[in-house]
Amino acid sequence: MDNQKYAIEVKDLHISYRCLKSFSVKKSFFKLKKSKPEIYEAVRGVSFNVKKGDILGIVGKNGSGKSTLLRALAGIFSPDSGEIDLHGYTVSLLAIGVGFQRALSGRENIYLSGMLLGFSEEQIREKIDEIISFAGLGKFIDMPVQTYSSGMYSKLAFSITAILETDIMLIDEVLSVGDARFKKKSYKKMKDLIMDEDRTVIIVSHNSDTIRNLCTSVLWLHEGEVRMMGDTGEVMDAYEEFMQ
Amino acid sequence: MRFFSDTKKYAGYVVRAAKSQLKAEVANSYLNWVWWILDPLCFMLIYAFIFGVVFDGREPYFAAFIFVGLTAWNFFNKCVIGSVKMVKKNKAIIDKVYIPKFVLAYTRMGVDGFKMLISFGIIICMMAVYRVELTWNVLLVIPLLLLLLIITFAGMTILMHLGVFVEDMSNIVTILFRLLFYVTGIFYSVYKRLPAPYGIWALRLNPMAFILDGLRKCLLYGQTPDMRIFAIWLVIGCLVAALGVKIIYRYENGYAKVV
Repeated sequence: MDNQKYAIEVKDLHISYRCLKSFSVKKSFFKLKKSKPEIYEAVRGVSFNVKKGDILGIVGKNGSGKSTLLRALAGIFSPDSGEIDLHGYTVSLLAIGVGFQRALSGRENIYLSGMLLGFSEEQIREKIDEIISFAGLGKFIDMPVQTYSSGMYSKLAFSITAILETDIMLIDEVLSVGDARFKKKSYKKMKDLIMDEDRTVIIVSHNSDTIRNLCTSVLWLHEGEVRMMGDTGEVMDAYEEFMQ
Repeated sequence: MRFFSDTKKYAGYVVRAAKSQLKAEVANSYLNWVWWILDPLCFMLIYAFIFGVVFDGREPYFAAFIFVGLTAWNFFNKCVIGSVKMVKKNKAIIDKVYIPKFVLAYTRMGVDGFKMLISFGIIICMMAVYRVELTWNVLLVIPLLLLLLIITFAGMTILMHLGVFVEDMSNIVTILFRLLFYVTGIFYSVYKRLPAPYGIWALRLNPMAFILDGLRKCLLYGQTPDMRIFAIWLVIGCLVAALGVKIIYRYENGYAKVV
């Protein structure tokens, strides 16, 4: 049972953007001299563990590899070397409005987006009423999404991801969408989701207050490396001092 | 194998996505789904006029002859050409969630496959109008369509991968497909019109020409296509598809970095 303690184990993770630049046939024809592939290493040897139920905040300045790391955890990027072990938990990047067909109704898009996130039709059918009532769009739920205002669009998108929950949630900037009332409601829902003891959460944010309020520990990435990791207060104090 | 378990896992999504794409395509048009019938029918009339009347084409059941060819070709053409830019077009999806990228190919095949089925419905009507004599050979349509699906999928996986990295791929493919369009024999019989040794080889070496010819043989003329050639292309198709899937699994996580 000892290894069950951790929900996420990351060992010596390296991710680089290299030689994957798309090239044009013409360019490679005329440039016979082989150009050196540009290597940009976004994540350089990051290791950390997250216990089940923990809430980890990731901070760092722009371009320090936070989003890349998050996407690697979600399985969107493959690491160049190193290991990511999620112990079989389901994981999702809190992504808004994935795979929407704008000409179709909100109800149909709930199914579409949900199934893309890896849920079965039955699972969505069970939750669809909850999603619809949470989004609070009224009769608009059966109208094409292209008729929605941008606020309504994000309300629907948020409700889908918030109600179809996974064991591990990866959040890139805590989302607050819609009008003041929905903002409050969505923030509260987020907080409930994040605070759930069974759920492991990783939050990337530039907002120090969010991190201080929500996270149990913090990872500070700097130039793709772990600068500091540990107790929220300690790391945030050092980070804020650094950013001054 | 991971390919089969992934296929099973995403089958529900593919069906749903294909359906919604079809619905979305016609959602704002006046004639709605009637377009799915009208569209192939109109093209068939145009081609039958140009090649039957202007160029004096002489195949039995000429309109049906063209229509069978056009139906299968359109499916192949739309799917494979669409696959070149498929990953880039679906950036919004692949940036946010992981899906095996060939699922996108399935969805596309679902959309165009549905349209192909409607066209086949029209073919059946045409056969009834022409009073084509039916033989048991008609059943060979099923394996031939299966071969068409496999060849299409194989082409899609390979081009989908190349399309991510090679910017000019779509220009190249467009030209190649124009050539293929004319040598596949959509408006003429490759076998009859090309001089003796070339005709038969043009059929053997081009899987699309073989499929088109085979479909016409078993649907319209009560003949059996060459089953040895069928078997060879089936094996080649499966091997290329397996290779394509392998390449996609190997590199697909890099796609998000490029687009």
